[in-house]
Amino acid sequence: MAESTAAPVADGREGRRRSRSKPSVAAESEGKTEALGRRAVALSHFYSGKVEVVPRVPVRSLEDFALWYTPGVAEVSRAIQADPDRAFDLTGRWNTIAIVTDGSRVLGLGDIGPRAALPVMEGKALLFKWLGGVDAVPLPIHAPTPDTFLATVEAIAPAFGGINLEDIASPKCFGILEELQRRLPIPVWHDDQLGTAASTIAGLLNALELTHRSVKEIRTVLLGAGAANLVTARLLLALGHDPHRLSVVDQRGVLDAERDDVDELMLRNPWKYRVALETDGGGRSGDFAHALEGADVLLAASTPNPNTIRPEHVRSMAKGPIVFALANPVPEVWPGVATAAGAAIVATGRSDFPNQVNNSLIFPAVFRGVLDARAASIPDEIVLAAARELAAHARDRGLSPTHILPTMEEVGVFPHVAAAVGDASVRLGIARRRLSHDEFLERARALMGRSKRLVRALSRARLTPSMPSAKALAERNPP
Amino acid sequence: MSASNDAASSGPSDTPTVPIHLRPARPADVPALVPLLLRLKRLNEEFDPLLKVRDDAEQQANEVLRAQLSDPKAVILAAEGVGSDKDKVVGFVRALVRERPFYTPEWEGVIVDIYLLPLYRRRGVGEYLLRETSAALKAKGAGVVTAEFPAQNEIASRFYAKRGFRPIQLLHARSL
Repeated sequence: MAESTAAPVADGREGRRRSRSKPSVAAESEGKTEALGRRAVALSHFYSGKVEVVPRVPVRSLEDFALWYTPGVAEVSRAIQADPDRAFDLTGRWNTIAIVTDGSRVLGLGDIGPRAALPVMEGKALLFKWLGGVDAVPLPIHAPTPDTFLATVEAIAPAFGGINLEDIASPKCFGILEELQRRLPIPVWHDDQLGTAASTIAGLLNALELTHRSVKEIRTVLLGAGAANLVTARLLLALGHDPHRLSVVDQRGVLDAERDDVDELMLRNPWKYRVALETDGGGRSGDFAHALEGADVLLAASTPNPNTIRPEHVRSMAKGPIVFALANPVPEVWPGVATAAGAAIVATGRSDFPNQVNNSLIFPAVFRGVLDARAASIPDEIVLAAARELAAHARDRGLSPTHILPTMEEVGVFPHVAAAVGDASVRLGIARRRLSHDEFLERARALMGRSKRLVRALSRARLTPSMPSAKALAERNPP
Repeated sequence: MSASNDAASSGPSDTPTVPIHLRPARPADVPALVPLLLRLKRLNEEFDPLLKVRDDAEQQANEVLRAQLSDPKAVILAAEGVGSDKDKVVGFVRALVRERPFYTPEWEGVIVDIYLLPLYRRRGVGEYLLRETSAALKAKGAGVVTAEFPAQNEIASRFYAKRGFRPIQLLHARSL
């Protein structure tokens, strides 16, 4: 599957090369990743999957099924037939979403197909439940064309209160998201676009505040023109960023309106074409290095390679620049290298460095919010509301160059982001249920707390076996 | 055809509000026209392998443009930008008047190339170019205006269909 997120200098060989300045980090992290992988396989075998369906109702005896099932249930069906929105009151639809993927761009693994994507979708479902209190159904589908994908998701939508698209290759993910948002009366979200862009914007807002900059005045370079950065560009423009000071760079250089391949983009990647026209290269053309000169902000979401952004690149930027190197698992520059070259604030996608830009800070809360508001869609205003709330939460805890975003440990942030999303849904007139801010907040806290209690209760009751040690696992499943 | 054009333009004499200045191309424009013509041919290449651009296309473009600039049966118009793009050629049209020995109207004006740089698209410029080209072809005796473009180019199909054009002949091809 062709990728449009490649950095200018990245290829497979470069990607594996160690950084001279920080060899230990790369080697150590690679070793750690391998060990985690082995343990994940063994544990997946031990637990045989990560999520299951758990009843919401008591069952005292089989007689109760006359209520939960036939004949009693027929009346429930009739009620929904008469008023389809009642499904949100009478069934679990209010809290159930589908995690749909075609497996065409899974993590860093590429086009591995729907079957191999299932463990990733299960993991995502677990995150949705644990962090957001959302019942998420992992649903990888075999969809060879975008049209089959669209038709399939449209066909399954009646069971769900929202759709989370996951791990779909760029650029087809843009068309699929736009079309499903148009066709379906429920929120549709693509985390690789919206979640990543929202957490990037949240971190950036605080980085700008710390360095006394305004989004309306900065010069910004986006390196990589894939799912996340094209949405980040759109959100920046919505925040008032001057399009003529915004340069989007892909593997062929700055995207300007007269680049040689611009007509090809019009046909093959209209989203990239649109950015090329809107920004016209941000007043620059040519290569990444040229675009970067004097820039205040660099947001890189390209391919893993610690030499993509070099110290001289950072030094060519404005004084005290902001550098986000978001490629996973290896950032485009090691934070220490960027800081030594003068970067005032550095963020990555990794949890072992400060300032992790992490979409897990966003998606559980966004879905909690839109589900509680029974929102009909997720427009960009909601994405920005979530980003602003996330940024505000980090500000309340005290901003510093190594704390521009809440960490995953700051779990108190999730209900607040959910409530901000609920408020925005009401304000935008897309909420089917208009709660007050405090009601949204309380509801989010309750539901998020409930799923943690549920998971712990299952463990306490030994219904979920406790986590076996590596040694015990090895004895159970000899290699 | 002319009726729908008039409806869209509220009369042939109105001043264009489009951000270009249109004029007949001159030999001095050739260096600016060649890259635009090549962009169009490369766009066409995207639609079909039988429209693969030749290695010597640039030289061909130079020669063809130079020859046709002095050909009374050719219409070549250059679109210049305004403001900071003043004096910059941002688009062009090339059309040829051909005889139709067996049909009436006897003379046909064929638009073979029409290209605008992306920032000048979707602002009514194409419409204006088409209208002015049609007028120039009519002045050269054409009783019908036609447009040639790749069969798979749906953007062009829609552009012309919206302006009253319909397919009258098809060109089917296979490699030999």
